[in-house]
Amino acid sequence: MTPRLTPEPAFGRAGLAAVAGLLIVWEVLGRLQLTIFIPSASTVAAAWWELLANGTLLRSASSSLLSLAKGFVPAAVLGIALGLAMGRFRTLREVLDGWINALMSAPLSALVPVLIALFGVRDTVVAATVFLFSFFVIVVNTMTGVRGTERSLVEMARSYGAGEAALFARIYLPAALPAILLGLRLGAVQAVKGMVVGEMLISLVGFGERLIYYGNTFLIPELYAVIVSVLIIALLSATLVQACERALVRWK
Amino acid sequence: MKRLAARGAPLAAFLALWQWAAWLPISFNFPTPWQTAVALTELLGSGALLQASATSLQSLALGFGAAITIGVPLGLLMGMVRGLGRVARVYLDLLIALPSAALIPLVILSFGINIFSSAVIIFVFSAPFITMNAYGGVRDTRPRLVEMARAFGASWGKLFTRIVLPSALPMILAGLRLGLSRAFLGLIVAELLLSPFGLGKLIMNSRSMFEHDKMFAAVLWTLILSGAALYALARAEAHLLKWRA
Amino acid sequence: MMVQPVGIAIERVSKSFGAMQALADIDVQVKAGEFLSLIGPSGCGKTTLLKCVAGLLPVDAGRIVIGSRSVSGPGGHEASLVFQDFALLPWATARENAEFGLLLRGAPAAERAAAARHALAKVGLAGSFEEAYPSQLSGGMQQRVGLARALAVNPQVLLMDEPFASIDEQTRRILQDDLLRLWSEERKTVVLVTHSMEEAIYLSDRVVVLSPRPGRVHRVLDVPLARPREKLDVRASGEFARLVDELWQILKKMQ
Repeated sequence: MTPRLTPEPAFGRAGLAAVAGLLIVWEVLGRLQLTIFIPSASTVAAAWWELLANGTLLRSASSSLLSLAKGFVPAAVLGIALGLAMGRFRTLREVLDGWINALMSAPLSALVPVLIALFGVRDTVVAATVFLFSFFVIVVNTMTGVRGTERSLVEMARSYGAGEAALFARIYLPAALPAILLGLRLGAVQAVKGMVVGEMLISLVGFGERLIYYGNTFLIPELYAVIVSVLIIALLSATLVQACERALVRWK
Repeated sequence: MKRLAARGAPLAAFLALWQWAAWLPISFNFPTPWQTAVALTELLGSGALLQASATSLQSLALGFGAAITIGVPLGLLMGMVRGLGRVARVYLDLLIALPSAALIPLVILSFGINIFSSAVIIFVFSAPFITMNAYGGVRDTRPRLVEMARAFGASWGKLFTRIVLPSALPMILAGLRLGLSRAFLGLIVAELLLSPFGLGKLIMNSRSMFEHDKMFAAVLWTLILSGAALYALARAEAHLLKWRA
Repeated sequence: MMVQPVGIAIERVSKSFGAMQALADIDVQVKAGEFLSLIGPSGCGKTTLLKCVAGLLPVDAGRIVIGSRSVSGPGGHEASLVFQDFALLPWATARENAEFGLLLRGAPAAERAAAARHALAKVGLAGSFEEAYPSQLSGGMQQRVGLARALAVNPQVLLMDEPFASIDEQTRRILQDDLLRLWSEERKTVVLVTHSMEEAIYLSDRVVVLSPRPGRVHRVLDVPLARPREKLDVRASGEFARLVDELWQILKKMQ
């Protein structure tokens, strides 16, 4: 298992101060006009506003978010299912574990050309990339969560006559829930990354396409605006999952 | 022996699936596993694959090397200096959440299409993770061990070298493994987009020339290469951490 | 090679953590070569007091003198600490762990290794155990390493913070006897913090009972049982039971 620091959106007072500081520095640097590649924060904000007003952002967002959902939902459902199965059944785990881990750390971006060969240059490729990027993280975290279930709880439930279904519903699932939600949070962030990579490589729709376009046409404030938009989406996805986490796991 | 067969089962299943996908009428020019294997040997024989690998690995060494050289000390510093850690951590969190690929057009605009750009992209992909892990490693130092060392008269310097650093090593190494995985990811995305060199170029060229078997072979080779590099790192990690339970 | 034990003078020591006073006006004179236990209900400050003697915590009032030196910080050469959770470096072998105190004092490698081996042998871990990692050792063996580390620096005073609390009872009794045996061979001043009444009576010459927050010296109990206790069947004696009960009565009244 890869020990990983849980990315807690640390938006306490230090967080706000740090972001505010960054914006100030950014604004100053931009005003100094050191290079055309660093526009001031206000210029970027203006560009962002403009893109929102003329509908560009919404157009891109609708395509991107749709692909995101089309990829992430299956990844979550299948990932949790496989993770539960692998956590519970040792043989399955021993057969698949190595492969899952290998795929999780592989440069999945290399598979995008393969996906294009498979599906053609279409938005399905983006959904597929989103799926690949998030699936393995979810599986691994779910599996870890199930494996971490206290043996004594399982034995206790068995002693009261619990069958397989009851064990899953009443012991394994609740016990693994924090880990599953962590996997979903990490998976959500990975999904957004996959979305951008996929879109940039097919260069057809969504935010990825805009990134390529503004890059090619040297529209730098607009480029920054899209980067910021993508960051916001990533943070919102993570926060969304975290909110679910808080609602579901109150006993922690 | 039975274990080996079990482990290989998913691979066999995958190959069967692949073969079946190639037979489907929807996939245009989809190569079979055999065709891919043949193309792979061809590319290896002609030296194209090795040359592309060399170029790619150059960028990787540059970018990943920089990520380690800057990331690890920075993370350690963040862990030792509380205030710095609390603030810098926010920026790192943002960088980790941000899809680094979004920064590629900006990097290309700023630095052009060359190995330096590739290295910068690789750096951006991997450095935040390396730094974060080093930071976490320092923060997770068991207070009891610090107390014990103080009780035996350790100075601040000794505390750092004899307690904090060895204690943080497992997380630092895990961060390197994660960072290398991210580095390869960034390398491939960069090269697929930039195209002038490396494995990415090989993949894209083969695709535009509709030599899909060569493209698949290049993709396969890329995965093998990254897998081998990560495996080597994991072995080194296991050796350095042989004291673990 | 052997050092002489020294006494510890704890004079009117007080210690607070913010608004919470942990120790109030503690006055204890530990005789050179004496085995003294500190016991009391949770929160009475016995571990805090031990850490003050070790110099890990500064006192707010009063002073602590070990031998002829007033304690002003950690790392003094007179006293060595043994911890409840062993505090071994997981990445170091038993021998390297035992060497740690000497390493910090700048002893050369050959001398360190020899001293560590000698100390490990004294605690019963000679041979193949030297190159084992803590993860490969049981709790009892890990604490032996902790003890070896403390002994390797040749202290005059041994400070032990509930050293056997994390160890199963059978191993604990063996370790207690081993400790007594070591102590009789090389007399040191020992201050042991424990929550076990049996352990306090079995091991000590005197038992200091601290009262709950703020910790004060509530009673000092003499333990006139004959030594060497590990050789006589002390636990079976009526005198032992009587002393344990006496201690229990004192503690019970404080609840």
